[in-house]
Amino acid sequence: MKTTNKLAILLGIVCISLVVAFGSIIYYIFDKYSYVDFYKRLETRVSISARYNLGNDTTNAENLKLLKKQHLEQLENEHEYLIPFSAGMSVVDTAQKYNLPTGFLKEINSKGKAQAKSGNTFFAGSIHSNKKTGNQYYVIVSAGNYYVSHHLLFLRNIIIVGVVLTLLIVLSFSIYFSKHIFDPIREITLKVKKISTENIHHRLSSDNYKSSNEIAELANTFNDLLSRVETAFEIQKNFISNASHELRTPLTSIIGEADVSLLKTRTPEEYQKSLQNVLQQAERLDQISKSLLFLAQTGYKGNAIVFEMVRVDEVIWQTKGLIDKINPANQILVDLSLVPEDPKKLKINGNVQLLHLAFSNILSNACKYSNNSPVTVFIASSNAHVIVTIKDKGIGIPETDLPHIYDPFFRASNTKMFEGYGIGLPLARNVINLHKGMLTVDSKVNVHTTVQIKIPLFKV
Amino acid sequence: MAHTILVPTDLRVASLNTLKLALDFIEESNVRVVLMYAEYLDSSITDLLFYSRKSRVSNTVTDEFKEALEILRNRFEGKLLGNIVIERFHGYNSNALSNFVDAHKADSVFLPKSYQLVTSSKSFNPIPLISKLKLPINYMDWQSTPGNITEREQLTALFT
Repeated sequence: MKTTNKLAILLGIVCISLVVAFGSIIYYIFDKYSYVDFYKRLETRVSISARYNLGNDTTNAENLKLLKKQHLEQLENEHEYLIPFSAGMSVVDTAQKYNLPTGFLKEINSKGKAQAKSGNTFFAGSIHSNKKTGNQYYVIVSAGNYYVSHHLLFLRNIIIVGVVLTLLIVLSFSIYFSKHIFDPIREITLKVKKISTENIHHRLSSDNYKSSNEIAELANTFNDLLSRVETAFEIQKNFISNASHELRTPLTSIIGEADVSLLKTRTPEEYQKSLQNVLQQAERLDQISKSLLFLAQTGYKGNAIVFEMVRVDEVIWQTKGLIDKINPANQILVDLSLVPEDPKKLKINGNVQLLHLAFSNILSNACKYSNNSPVTVFIASSNAHVIVTIKDKGIGIPETDLPHIYDPFFRASNTKMFEGYGIGLPLARNVINLHKGMLTVDSKVNVHTTVQIKIPLFKV
Repeated sequence: MAHTILVPTDLRVASLNTLKLALDFIEESNVRVVLMYAEYLDSSITDLLFYSRKSRVSNTVTDEFKEALEILRNRFEGKLLGNIVIERFHGYNSNALSNFVDAHKADSVFLPKSYQLVTSSKSFNPIPLISKLKLPINYMDWQSTPGNITEREQLTALFT
């Protein structure tokens, strides 16, 4: 069932049951009240007729009769009974004789007065005595309740018609509202359906809706999602073009070199030289493919990686030793002014090889892009993380390039003078992510680059 | 015998460099640290009614600042006695400050030499008041990066 229908039905049911309950309560209460009121009227008539019939009030008897005739309206089927109370006759016989309900007479006997209803006729009566003769009489008045038979019927009809009318109105309104409340959502669905990989730059317009409402929020959420998907697409595209370019450069060199040397017969020295060139380019190709492989391996959460307890400071000293061998001119300073006193707070759960890879990439980048000016490595630890900060005073990263530095093969615009493929930083970030850590980069062109790495402490 | 030092702070990581250098400088062990943050008290009666030191501290202290405090605590674990406490100073004059200092039994004060505490509309720089105190005052100097640094960069401010 569609949400629109559900909403319409729910709304309708709630409204209708409310209206029906309201109507029935009104009808019920009126019904009750009309009986009470009618019995009171009958009782008044009983006491009046007792007065003039039994001759207790001789002076006013005629007046009372007149008054009754003139001012008390004649009820439907109104009858007055004046039944002498005779000990010889049983209650049942009296009742049969005057066509009165038996229970009613019995009640009068026991309580002195009573009310009863038989079919559409109502009875009220009480026992009165003639003061002169001392005889006792039942004084009973019976009448049909015109009010019940007509007014209540009328009320019932009004209520039924009212309920039916409200029902129709409520139903039509709820159907209308439920349809139109979902209009914007339907609109969004239609628009989103239209967006595919070809026109992913399209966005939903959220101006139609007030900025604070949920529909606008939904549209904005969709737009954000689309933006992210679009960026991912772009990265993918860039990656392929960059990767093919990077792989082709050494290949072109190899082919060119081989082509030229095969043009004619050459001296052994020339062959040696060209072979050396080919070897150099092939090695470069090898390095690129190796690092690509690493990137791919660290990119997904492999189970093959073994984690063990590692001391971060040891890893950094070892990495520094490694870089000292490759690049003896480096000036890496390890700053220990914030190293925690407790060595436990330097231990993390990690893989030494991967951490070497990450730190050596970051440190060698820091040395490379600062032309071997001093690079400082700070080690510190909070209660949850080991924090390693690497600061260099190099060429920095332009602000516009900062969002892309984690894209494979991306190289900042000011790095043309330096050799590299743009794999080091993404690789380092993948490694740190594998360690559930965080890598953040801050930079200012020609001032500094600061890389901060946070890795959770080893939990015992 | 515990030695209590008073260090003014602006609740920015950069200001903690004073503390770092101070703890390096102090030779005594058992050092208690009171970080003082000077702030005007609200004049609104409802704010005063619901005034609570604890919630105010947790409201204004950033995660980076807490992390930096943890780093310092881990670094000087052997020297420090108890937690590093952040106390608010709401006074205006030197009498109030002497009361504050007496209450926390501060033995010496460490001030930054070149770093300027960053003040907001509510907080003020207590250093002129502090320098009038009759306590041993030590000035610590370090190279601070000028200008406003963003929240994200804050933690690196400690690494100088």
